Amino acid sequence: MRRRTIALTALVLVVLTVGFTALLATRPPIDATAVHSPLLGTMAPKFSGRSLTGSTVSLQHDRGNIVILNFWASWCAPCKQESPNLTSFAWSQRNNHVKIVGVVYNDTVASARSFERYYGALYPSITDPQGSIAFHYGVTAPPTTFVIDRTGRVAATLVGPATQGQLNAIVSRL
Amino acid sequence: MILSWIGRIGLYIGFLSAVVGVVNQLLVARRGRHSYALPAALASLLGIVLAVGAMQTALVTHNFSLAYVAENNATFTPLLYSITGMWSALEGSLLLWSLILALLVVAVVVYYRRQRDDVVVSYATMVLFIVAGFFLLLMVGPADPFLLNPAHVLQGAGPNALLQDNPLVAIHPPLLYSGFVGFTVPFAFAMAMLLSGRVHEQWPIEQRRWTVLAWGSLSVGIVLGSWWSYQVLGWGGFWGWDPVENAALLPWLTATAYIHSVVVQDRRGLFRVWNLSLAVGTFSLTVLGTFFTRSGVLQSVHAFSSSTLGPVLIGFFGLSLVSGLGLIAWRGDELRTAVGVDSPLSREGIFVMNNVLFVGFAFVVLLGTVFPLLYQAINGVQVTVGTPYFAAVAGPGSIALLALMGLAPLVSWRRFDGPTIWRRARVTAWMCVASVILLEVAGVRHLAVLFVVFLAVAAAGSALRTLANNVTAARRRNDLWSVLRSPSTAGMVVHLGVVILAVGIVVSSSYTSRTEVTLSANQRTVVDGHAITFHGFAKRTTALETQTLVNVTVDGGRLQPAITTFSGRSQAVGTPAISSNFFRDVYLTFDAVGQGGSTSGAQVQSNVPFGAVVLGVTVEPLLSWLWIGGLIVGLGSALTLGRRRSSDEATA
Repeated sequence: MRRRTIALTALVLVVLTVGFTALLATRPPIDATAVHSPLLGTMAPKFSGRSLTGSTVSLQHDRGNIVILNFWASWCAPCKQESPNLTSFAWSQRNNHVKIVGVVYNDTVASARSFERYYGALYPSITDPQGSIAFHYGVTAPPTTFVIDRTGRVAATLVGPATQGQLNAIVSRL
Repeated sequence: MILSWIGRIGLYIGFLSAVVGVVNQLLVARRGRHSYALPAALASLLGIVLAVGAMQTALVTHNFSLAYVAENNATFTPLLYSITGMWSALEGSLLLWSLILALLVVAVVVYYRRQRDDVVVSYATMVLFIVAGFFLLLMVGPADPFLLNPAHVLQGAGPNALLQDNPLVAIHPPLLYSGFVGFTVPFAFAMAMLLSGRVHEQWPIEQRRWTVLAWGSLSVGIVLGSWWSYQVLGWGGFWGWDPVENAALLPWLTATAYIHSVVVQDRRGLFRVWNLSLAVGTFSLTVLGTFFTRSGVLQSVHAFSSSTLGPVLIGFFGLSLVSGLGLIAWRGDELRTAVGVDSPLSREGIFVMNNVLFVGFAFVVLLGTVFPLLYQAINGVQVTVGTPYFAAVAGPGSIALLALMGLAPLVSWRRFDGPTIWRRARVTAWMCVASVILLEVAGVRHLAVLFVVFLAVAAAGSALRTLANNVTAARRRNDLWSVLRSPSTAGMVVHLGVVILAVGIVVSSSYTSRTEVTLSANQRTVVDGHAITFHGFAKRTTALETQTLVNVTVDGGRLQPAITTFSGRSQAVGTPAISSNFFRDVYLTFDAVGQGGSTSGAQVQSNVPFGAVVLGVTVEPLLSWLWIGGLIVGLGSALTLGRRRSSDEATA
């Protein structure tokens, strides 16, 4: 009995390792986490800006709609994962008074344009030359997403790549 | 275009040479064929050097036909950051990793050239070639650094702003990688011993030197990483228990355990299975760390790149750990030793406690790092594990280790001998008591600080006593320089470095004061005994960046915290300024300006008068001890290089 303890211990550890490896290998990349931002329930800071395609976008103008405000950058890896989700969400909600507005965070206009073209975004993204929109929303890392309700209050804050399911769940609550 | 082909050809040469190496070494071990380890290792290195050369040429000449260059470089990126661009994303990091590993394989093959027909050496070389081949396979396949850009690109995106404002980016990642890669050698020899069945030989003791070098490099890499985040991130902290920081800490902890427990194998022939397991575990943890960094399954400030390599990396982790454990299960019972630890208070008993603490701590860190994943898999809810969890274990654990560090060099092997210990500890003990009384008189009331200083003085005293004995012995041999080659010198120098580091961490975090002050032009204030005067703003524009600086004097010395906007980026980042000396750091951040102060990037705050500035002031005593301690740890580890081959290793 005693002669086998090392072998048995090692075999138990082998089983544990296989389980641990299988668990980690099947983990999907993280989705967004809903966080408790101080902005929740308060009036969303106003913003307006020029989009990458040249049109003007402002929160004022979209009042009465649910606005999904998404901070992103072309250099941010999770944004690449998130962008197609936002586009299909925008398409599925196109008749429901839900608007998506992107804000380019710490990026060059040229890279942001090619990112937008590559991922075929169906929503406008504005530039933030002084970083002041990001500052007022307290954004420190993209992607960060704010859901603003029809009265202009912040209803949810998501840090990380948001999925269609998460956004649907939040929007259907409002 | 041509560079892409040169690079790919280089990678194929590297990969095929590694495959040839694996097959050849297997034949050497099984059939006693002639070894071609050196030609294979050199060919593999040559291929990788070709690939790295192609990548560097493309980066330095801003050749955006390569997708990697377009994503991590721009025409205005200066030379230094063009070079370091090679490791600012996944594909290039793999190039750096492979380069270091290829150099290491050549070093191992040359070092053991006289034993090249030995079965253990050829199996070990085979394992090294397998690991090298794996990383090359990643680049030949799914993570090709030489992909071409489909469209014509005139201007690249440039490296991440945070990766181009400190020259440490040129040193910190290569040192960290050298540490990680270095742990492949003890792993390879552990696997070789198990494969060949020659489990009773003293290879692990021989491997201690390679491990200490890798460990030293990793230690300095980790400390430099903390120094970097301290200088750049603007919150005055140096460690955040981020998954990627933990990824570097995990193999460091198990390697530290290994370096100590191997000594017991040398002296008493104990812990054979344990040492092999630690070598396998340490290597597997470096692969696991790479998985954490690159897979995107954990949230981290370091997640500069995510990729589809996650399953491949975790698969390799599982494979290396399972094959190691499987071999131990097969051979393990041959390794049983008849003797045991006689007394818990003997030297070997203390080494057991040391190992329990280090490995236990590694387990706690691992659990905290993957807990969010486990929890989500079971409950579907996302949680985060923060600093309090890790700190609750790190504090008491470090204190216990500090105590053992003071005790171990005083205690004899095999038995507990009270009078001898007292004779050795007498002077140190009085020094400990004296230093605590001194601090008490000076007004230090922080219990943790007093306790840690007591233990730190004890540990330093023990280390200095051993060093003094080494010097005496060297003088008796009439060769004072031989003290540097003396087996325990390196270890005790490292201990001194760790003691300094520990005191720095405890004192700086116990006595940090953080305030925000608003100053008008030429106004003076005193924070924590430091006179701070604001003189006005300055502007600096270079091709690379536009900075708004605040001219401040702290205790008479000039400091310029700033807000920096990099060319081609719209967002501004804060650049802190630090006045540092042996006793304290004063850490200044430019937080905001008053109304109408239209300075680029700086935040305007409406309740602050015109022309005034808001400065964040953090005063941290003894913070520089962290960096000094880290440097001494590095120097101590480097002493191992000077030691003669197979001299009495590992008596530290």
